[in-house]
Amino acid sequence: MYPFNLRKLKDLLFLVITGILSLLMIIPLLHIIFTVFVEGIGVIIRVGPIFVTGTLSDGGIGPAIAGTFILTFLASIIGIPIAFAVGVYAYEYPDSIIGRATTALLEIMLEFPTILVGLFVTQIIVIPMGTYSAIAGAFSLAIILMPYVAVYTKEAMSQIPFTFREAAFGLGISKIKTVFLIIAPIAKRGILTGLLISIAKVAGETAPLLFTAGGLYQSYPQGITNPVGAIPLLIYTLVQSPSPSDHAMAWGASLVLLLIFLGVFIPLRLSIKEVKL
Amino acid sequence: MIKIKSVKMDAFDLITYPAVFFVFLLFLWMLLVYFTNSLPAFQREGLNVYLKNIWIASEIPNKEYYGILAAIWGSLYTSLIALAIALPLSISYSIFVGDYLPRKFKEFMIIVSDIMAGLPTIIYGIWGAFFLVPFIKNWVMDPVYEYLPFISKFSQKPASGFSFLSAGVLLGIMITPFISAVVREAYGMVPHTYREAAYSLGLTKYEATKILMGYIKPAIISGVILGFGRAIGETVAVSLVVGNAFNLSANPFSPGYTISSLIATQYGNSFIYEHMTSVLYAAGLFLFFIGLIINLLGIYLLRRWRKNVSL
Repeated sequence: MYPFNLRKLKDLLFLVITGILSLLMIIPLLHIIFTVFVEGIGVIIRVGPIFVTGTLSDGGIGPAIAGTFILTFLASIIGIPIAFAVGVYAYEYPDSIIGRATTALLEIMLEFPTILVGLFVTQIIVIPMGTYSAIAGAFSLAIILMPYVAVYTKEAMSQIPFTFREAAFGLGISKIKTVFLIIAPIAKRGILTGLLISIAKVAGETAPLLFTAGGLYQSYPQGITNPVGAIPLLIYTLVQSPSPSDHAMAWGASLVLLLIFLGVFIPLRLSIKEVKL
Repeated sequence: MIKIKSVKMDAFDLITYPAVFFVFLLFLWMLLVYFTNSLPAFQREGLNVYLKNIWIASEIPNKEYYGILAAIWGSLYTSLIALAIALPLSISYSIFVGDYLPRKFKEFMIIVSDIMAGLPTIIYGIWGAFFLVPFIKNWVMDPVYEYLPFISKFSQKPASGFSFLSAGVLLGIMITPFISAVVREAYGMVPHTYREAAYSLGLTKYEATKILMGYIKPAIISGVILGFGRAIGETVAVSLVVGNAFNLSANPFSPGYTISSLIATQYGNSFIYEHMTSVLYAAGLFLFFIGLIINLLGIYLLRRWRKNVSL
């Protein structure tokens, strides 16, 4: 009987250990959300609605919120059309040499250190222009956005049964019409969800904006060739400041960023089976 | 009749090829920018840029000398600490979620993991700087110093919690969901017959899982490699907790630099020095190649494994 019991014991121990470690994995997230709420809510209540509309000297982060929306919007305009075309290409030719290389490149770009993108854009846009600008920050974000959108597009379209293609080709419909007018609309839901998740992801990026967007917190953005701020960038600056009141602002800004992120991400995540981040 | 085989380009190709071409061009352009901008550093110092731990920023260009060895060391060190933390967590998570949890909780755990993967890194950064760093100082560093003073490594009282350890722990938390995703997917792909065979031999769940783990080992390895790639490229969260000091020390309690945090903290004021910018591009080039090699390797291994399984 003894060895049998030992085996049972090991089995139980295994269950307990994996359970505890799994719990340990998600505790940081719960603690992060809890801390951001507790620390952030105080400053937001104290300052009131000015916190999301006022400039930094009024005690608000309005320009940063505006900047994040401008940057994300511009990045989407630049990145999505190209990325969509690339994704469609990777879907259409999964086995050709260029198709395989494209898929590999997209996967590399997904994992690529984002600070390198920022430095690259600094060199090709910021230095020639002589100033930080919204357009440089947006281009930086667009480069990071593209692989996500392309991969999501490809995966969403690959889910569509092959018989739809056969039916379309059987009717003599051209390739471009089949892909763009038949397959893409059927995969619409998957593509759109992927798009929004990608946008939510880049909206929270900091490193690519460090030396491109410039930061602007005392007034609202003046145009796309002028510097803009962004919520993550503002948090990064405020955390490094020695003053406790700046730290309070940073927590408040984090709460705003967290709420935007969770508000976009959770409903999307619940509507699909799998995400690629 | 002579048939000339012409290149077929239909409307589809006309739309998609330029986009594909553009993305490739962008990537090559990036490589080129890093090459040309780091060239002056290599011409001036040779490979010493990577092999020396020295940082003399001076108004007089002749006195300037830079070597980023400490940052390279810091990147590797913090990423390895991160992996040591993330690997047991993500394997346990994959097993627990895959085998034990009922459907409802399973969904919850997977969504939590996805949120962790997508959460803006700056939020990890602020939490790391204001909670994790003091926490590690009070609950790890000080007790170790207090109760194990005979270990010479720890004989100097740690001044603050900003250290390789804090950065490693924070990175570990951040990369766990990425490794988990790879391991969980692989674990789910194990053919059911293998599991049935194991149970039919009378093995317990633990023994069966041990065998199945051997089966998905290549996937775990590629998950680790991809996680390492994420850890080494992470910038803002790390630069807020690592302490930003040139330090070639194996002591996990000492502050340090990583390549990306070096770029993030120094690039902004590098233009007032004659040679620093180029050195930072050389640092970026190094990161570029590490990222490229690691990710290619991880992706290659994962693909090969998937192919083997689906056969």
